[in-house]
Order: sequence, then structure tokens, then C-alpha cells
Amino acid sequence: MARQGYSRVFKGIAALVLTAFVFGCSPPSGGRYFGKTEPPKDNVLRYITGAEPETLDPQIPDGQPEARIFMAMYEGLVEYDPKDQQPIPAIAKSWESNPTLDEFLFHLRDNAKWSDGKAITARDFVYSLRRGFHPDVISRTAQLGFFIKHSEDLKSRNLFVKKNGEFLLAKDFGAPDKETARIGPETEFSKFLHSPARLVLNGDEKKRAQQLAKDPKLAEAVQGAELVPVAPEDIGVEAIDDYTLRITLRQSAPFFLGLFAHQFFRLVPEQSVEKHGKNWTRPQNIVTNGPFRVKEYRPYDVLTLEKDPNYWDAANVHLDGIEFFPIEEQSTIMNLYKAGSIDAMQNHAIPSSWIGEIRNYKEEYLNFPEMAVAYYAMNMTKPPFDDIKIRRAFTLGLDREALSSFRKVTQPLYFMSPTGAFREFDQALAKVSEEKRIEKGISPEEWAKYGKFDPEQARRLLTEAGFPVQKNGDNYACPSFPTDKVAITYNTNESNRSIAEFVQSQWKQHLGITVPLKTMEFKTFLPYFKNLEYDGFAQLLWSGDYVDPFSFLSLEYGKANEGGSGFYDQKFDKMLDDANSELDPQKRNELLARAEFYLMEQAPVVPLTVNATNWIKKPYVKGMYPNPGTLLPWKFVYFERDPAKWDTDVSNIFATRDPKFEKQLEDLKSTQNAPVK
Amino acid sequence: MLSFILRRLLIIIPMALVVVTLTWGLIRLAPGNFYTGEKKLPPAVESTIRKKYGLDEPWYKQYGMMMSNVVRGDFGDSLKYQGQTVNEIIWRHLPYSATIGILAYLLALGIGLLAGTYAAMKQNTVLDFGPMSFAMLGLSVPNFVLAPVLVIFFAFTVYLLPPARWGGPLSLILPVVTLAAIYAAYIARLTRAGMLEVLRSDYIRTARAKGLSDRTILFRHAFRGGILPVISFTGPALAALLAGTVVVEKVYALPGLGDIFIKAVLNRDEPLILGIVAFLSILVMVFNLIVDISYGYLDPRIRYE
Repeated sequence: MARQGYSRVFKGIAALVLTAFVFGCSPPSGGRYFGKTEPPKDNVLRYITGAEPETLDPQIPDGQPEARIFMAMYEGLVEYDPKDQQPIPAIAKSWESNPTLDEFLFHLRDNAKWSDGKAITARDFVYSLRRGFHPDVISRTAQLGFFIKHSEDLKSRNLFVKKNGEFLLAKDFGAPDKETARIGPETEFSKFLHSPARLVLNGDEKKRAQQLAKDPKLAEAVQGAELVPVAPEDIGVEAIDDYTLRITLRQSAPFFLGLFAHQFFRLVPEQSVEKHGKNWTRPQNIVTNGPFRVKEYRPYDVLTLEKDPNYWDAANVHLDGIEFFPIEEQSTIMNLYKAGSIDAMQNHAIPSSWIGEIRNYKEEYLNFPEMAVAYYAMNMTKPPFDDIKIRRAFTLGLDREALSSFRKVTQPLYFMSPTGAFREFDQALAKVSEEKRIEKGISPEEWAKYGKFDPEQARRLLTEAGFPVQKNGDNYACPSFPTDKVAITYNTNESNRSIAEFVQSQWKQHLGITVPLKTMEFKTFLPYFKNLEYDGFAQLLWSGDYVDPFSFLSLEYGKANEGGSGFYDQKFDKMLDDANSELDPQKRNELLARAEFYLMEQAPVVPLTVNATNWIKKPYVKGMYPNPGTLLPWKFVYFERDPAKWDTDVSNIFATRDPKFEKQLEDLKSTQNAPVK
Repeated sequence: MLSFILRRLLIIIPMALVVVTLTWGLIRLAPGNFYTGEKKLPPAVESTIRKKYGLDEPWYKQYGMMMSNVVRGDFGDSLKYQGQTVNEIIWRHLPYSATIGILAYLLALGIGLLAGTYAAMKQNTVLDFGPMSFAMLGLSVPNFVLAPVLVIFFAFTVYLLPPARWGGPLSLILPVVTLAAIYAAYIARLTRAGMLEVLRSDYIRTARAKGLSDRTILFRHAFRGGILPVISFTGPALAALLAGTVVVEKVYALPGLGDIFIKAVLNRDEPLILGIVAFLSILVMVFNLIVDISYGYLDPRIRYE
């Protein structure tokens, strides 16, 4: 009796669980779309942007979730083009630059307003930038703008030197002085910026002492002089009149215009910041200037924005509002999407176990190369990776095609910069590559393999470096290699682990070396990595801050060790400097491509993959494009209510015509394309 | 009795401070800090931060500053979420965790007591093994497995309930059930064990000898003694539930305290960690006190001195 009852209960449970699985795992019945697909009735987009925003102050955080929110709330001089992220007019209706690309003149539109109705003028930009570079403002993105003259000096509390009523000049102490052409009218301030550069001393007392100790002439000149801190008023930003803004850089930076769309360069409201201090971002105090303003904010739950009628281009904002949900759990995101509770989501949202199913929904699945890459940095400060042969051996011994097909959504990477993200640069790379091939006298077939996957060459290099690789039946062995002195270190994360395991098996197979794996919590990993405490390999994920290969190549520039390998090479630095002072974009790209090849010969990193966007949106969401940074200008987004016009195949979304979107973009760009008076 | 409560209340404060001190020490031992990120900060910005938060002071000064704030109940601003105070964050998110937690516990209590009592009375029959094997299942299926199974069934097979997010009573059902499952199972087993012991005791035999009905024996005499293990379990369980439950909050995207606590640790957000730890430790001690007091009412053998 008892036994019978027991089994009956058990059968019941089993049946319930089984039903759940059978129904749950079967594809949605008869639908061509993934889950419930109906445009929301109220014209409010529901979007998942990842982590809870740290703050609503655009000049502080550096995260992507915040960047997307700020694009809805704030506007700057220029905005990202929805398709390729190139700068398009925003508050600046047009701009021009001097021939050396180190001074920009922006012509602002006269009808831009804050959400409180106050007019936006050039002075708002001056205020915002002075605030962002102020040493008391803890901004994690300000360094992006350090090309602006004296902005780094301001942030570092550096000092000018005044003696006998005159400022000492840098050129008198050996610094080269170059003349730069001014654009726009001459003013007192422009005279200051274009006069010979003032001498600047380090703001940090210890570093200043070092600076003076190194240069006795300097020390003598500074003796008894007055040290004047660089002031916010000294940075290269000037309001010539209400609607003309001039920005002066310390050196040519051809990519700099694209940076003005970055959140750091968006406006912050003086009227609110000065009045409320750190509380200015609270919903009751906040003043914004983007297409949308804050309606309600429930942290960790939802940030609701509504269309701002004061926005200058409100007529072309299609949505009535946006709800941003801070959710990170991938399967929860997918559940909400399937239930039709959200319309689109951040990049990298699809869990790898779902990709097989999701990629069949060609009306929804967006998988495009990203401006983000994964590398293994090699610690060049510790043996054996101080030996270039070892570094190259490990690079050549990894089949990155196989890694990418294993990862399903990524593409193999052989350079520092992400292939496919910068079209002109890719062309330059191809050209330089062909030159190199001819130089080396290698056949095109062999060249296609060169530097990619070449296990034989890798084993040869290892042997030459003193670690002979022996053939052991079908396997290889490299018994003398010190595997106790290397490891692949990565921060704890499912996908990092699967990459590491794959790479480990590849090296074992091709080089006969089993590199141990080491996983660490992110904040523990960071100092371990940046201070070069790791042995062997450490994983670095990097996404570009602006659409230019320099955003990646600069990782290995100078002694800052952003790339984490401890790489420092003056020749490489000079190549980048030369490229950045080249004003012809094509020639500049070629110079950068040469630097790229040179860097890969030095092999400070093992490039792994170019990341993929990997997200989905409902087919009725239009005007939203999977650009390389997943930075979405929200005023272009609209709901298409006619199912006949829904997306049918998003794999060519960039080429698919959308007259409504194209007209909006063309109208917006026309003010810049028209000749300036 | 009153002096017992007073004594216990007085000890809560120093105990909480000890917990805060230990936590503070542990945070200091962990590598990395709140401002390190993928991108290196310019040295000037780093020194501004260090100055602003007193990180250049010797450790005892930093400890002193922290303690003097904590004693006043002011944990300061979160380091990660700029411009938000720790107290504000805790009080804003506590109601979410508390709603889910209390509902889940009430549900668990209802199911657990019923099933446990029933099983004890029908010991070694189908009516004992049935609920108890179900309880075993509840205990063995972790909530990160139960949650997706419930979502698949109720949100995507029968389309009855939303799969995630806070909003309306319907959205509470799945998280509450998920959370209640394990507690219900535990309570059922505790109740069964407690009741079995009591039912065998002398005073129940006396009651039976007096000729009392089964119902009177159960509710007047056995129940009070039988649920004592459940009562002592309730203190820490409620405290844990009130303070948030990470997995359920993550899977159902609820803005509760548990997930915030975990993130605070990952972000090295010291004030927020200390605030939540202090709050949680006080909660546990207060609930334990309440449990101890209720013992006296339930079990006449217990006296307070």
C-alpha cells in the first residue's frame, strides 16, 4: 500500500516536470518570431541596458550601460551616426577645423534648449568642459579629452611658472615649439593659446622635485619664481559668441572630432550642478538636454524617460518615452524578451547555450563585428616571455579560426585593432600587407598563412629558444618548458573560462605545453594584471572609445602599460606620433597599419577574437542599428506598426532601405554638408 | 523578563560593532579597491579620490572615522552609486526583499506546518511518505533550478504569469513560490520531527489517558511543544529572507537587497557593505531575541532569569 502510494506521487511529479520541459523547449508554435511579438500600444520603448547606472551624471562613469542612457538624456556638439558611429550634427549644426586638425570651430544652432526651457549657448559647453577637467571632479573618462590644450594640466593640478611678471616658456627649456594656424576670429584668449607654450611643472610635489632634479637649468630658473596653478579658464575651450565655440588641441588628433559624441563631452547643466551639488542628478533636480527627460527613476528597477518637448528636434523624436531596465542576468533578459515584455536589449545579451536556437530568427538576431576585442597579454617583464621567440611561438601555435568557430559568434583576430570595424584602415592594412609580402618575396598563398596559424614554425621557435619540442607518437611534448612559471589568468566568467580551456587544449596539442589556468574575481584580477604580477598570460578585453584604430593601438603606446604586457618601444611610439601628425586620412591609416605590423612582430599580446554584437530586437523596432559600439541614438528609433514593413532579414540591416530613417539622417547631416558661410 | 530583554538588547549594539569591525578588516584585506577599473585613472584623479576618502591616512585613523560615523548610524555615501547614501539605499530596497521574504515565509509556514503535522500523525503511512518525499525534493532542488522550471511552465507554457520583474501581485507569485519551496520543505521536516517527539512524551500520554479527543490533544497540548524547532529556525530564516535572496532576485530581476549586497562586495563599495552587514547582524540578533521570548510563552518549562 505504502509503496504504491509513493510511486504514484513520484509519477505525478515526474509528469509535471516532463511536461514543463517538453513544452518549454519546443520552438514557439508556428511563429516566425521568437516569442510574443506585438508593438507596445503606448509608443514607449522597453530596453535592457545592463547594469544599474552608477549615476546620471554623464561626466563621471565609463560604462556602456550608462553611455546608452546618457545618449537619450544628454546631447553634445555631435551625435553618433546610428549606422557607423561617425559624428553627425547635434547641437553643433556645422563645424570646421584648421589645416593641422588641432583647432575646431563649431557653429551651434540657436534653438537648442535645456529641459527647463533655458537656451543652450556656447558658454554651456565652456562650463561643462571646465567642470569635467576640474581636478575635484572624479571623472573616469576625462583622460579621453586630454588632447584639449591644458586640460591634462588642469586635471593634474599642474603649475605655470611666473618670474618677474612674465610666464616662463617651454621652448626656453628645450621643448620644441610649433606654430599652429588659428581658425575663426582672433581674440585675447586665442592669442594666449597660440603664443609660445608656457612652461608647465608637475602638480605632484614629489614628481616636481624629480622633474627639477633632472634639469639643473630648470631648477635654477624656477628658484624664487611664483608657481601659478593651471586654472579652468586656461583650457583650450572658448565661447567666441553665443553660438560659436572654439576648441584648441595641444597636438593634431584627426580622430578627435568623433570623440565629441562621447558622454564626457555632452552638456551638464550649470543651473542645476551649481545649485544642488552632488544631488543635482536626483529626479527632482535634474536638468537634461537630450531628446528624452527623466520621468521616473526607481533604482535597480526602471528608469523611465519621456520625450522632452523642449528638445530642439522634438518633431523628429518618434518615441514617447523609453524604459531602461537594469538587468544583467542573461536568461532573465531572454525570458522577458520571449514574453514580449521588452523590445530590444544590450549587446552580448544572448547566452551561448541559446545562440543555436536564436540565430535561426533571421528577422531578429543581430550579429555583427564589434569595436571590441579579446587578447592574452604576455608578461614581457618575466622570463620566459621576455624572449620574443617564445611570444611568437605561442601566438603561432594557436588556431584562432578554430577558436572563433568554437565560440560561435566571434571572428578570429590577428591584430591589435578589430578587423572589420574600421573599413578604411582595413584597406590600408591590406595594402601594407601586400608591400610586406613583396618585400619578403613570399607567394600569396603562403602569405595568407603567414603570422596566423603555423604550429611547425611555433615548435621551431620554441626549440630555438632553448625549449626543444619532441614528437611523442601523435602528440608533442616540451618537457623543459617551465609550466610552473606560466598560467593563463582571467577574471571569473563563464565565457572567459571556455576561451581559456580551448586555448589551453590548442597549445597542449600543437606545442606539447599544458599551461595551467588561473581564475580571479575581477577586482582582484585588475591590480594583479596591471602591476604585471601575473605569470605568462592574462586576458584583456578592450572596447574602443572612438571609431579609430588608435583607440586600440594606443594601448601599447608609451609607458602607461594600458595593454598590460609591460611593452614599451620608442620606435612604435614614434610610428604612432608620425601617423597622428599626418593629415591625409589615407596616408595616416597606412602609417597606422605599418605600426600595427611592427607591433605584431614584437608580439606583446596574443590576439584572440573580435567580439560580436550578439543581441536581438523585435522586428517592429526600426531605426536601431547594431553599430560597432552598440551606441544607439534614440531619436531615430520608431515602432513600425504595419507588419508588412517589419524587418525580414537583419543580416543585411545596414543595406536595407528605410526611407523614413534615411530622410531623417540626411536632413540632420545637411547643415554640416552645406558650405559654411 | 524585562531585565532579560534589556540585557539582550544592550548586547546587540557592541555585537554589531564587532561584526562591522571584522567586515571592515576583511574588506581591507581584499585586493583592489572601488576606483580601479579597466581603464587606468590619471594619477591626479587617483590622488584626488584618495584624499577625498581619507585613504592616505593611517589605518587607525580611517577606522576611527568609519567607526564614529557608524556609531551615529551614518554610513555615508555609496562609493559606486555617487550621490546616494547607504541608508537611503537600504531603506529603498528593503521593502522589496521584505515583501517577497515575508510572503514566502508565510507560505512556507502554512505548507510546512500542515504537511509536517499531518505526516507525524500518520507516521509510516502513505500520508507520511508522500509529503516527506515531496519535502525531500523541495530541499534537494536548488532555487536556481526551480525558478527556470517554474518560468518555463507558468510564463511560456500556460502564459499565466510574467517571467520576471516587479509589478503587480501576479509578478510576486513565482518568486514567492520559488523562495518558499525550500523553507516549506525544511519546516515540514522540522515540524514532523518535533511533533513525533512530543507525541511520544509522557504528558501527551497523560492527556490521552484523561480521554481527551485527538483534536484537543493536538492543538491544546502537542502543537505548542512540537513547533519549538520551527520557532528557533524562524529567527535566522526571516532575517535572511528580509535581507534579500540573491538567486531569486537575479532570476526574477527584483530590486531587492540581496543582489545589491553582492554587487557592493564585488565593487568594494565599503560603506554599502558595512551598512548592509550592520543592518543584517542587528536583524538576526533582534529576531533571535524575539524567538527566545516566544519560547517562554510556548513552552512552560522555560523560565527567564
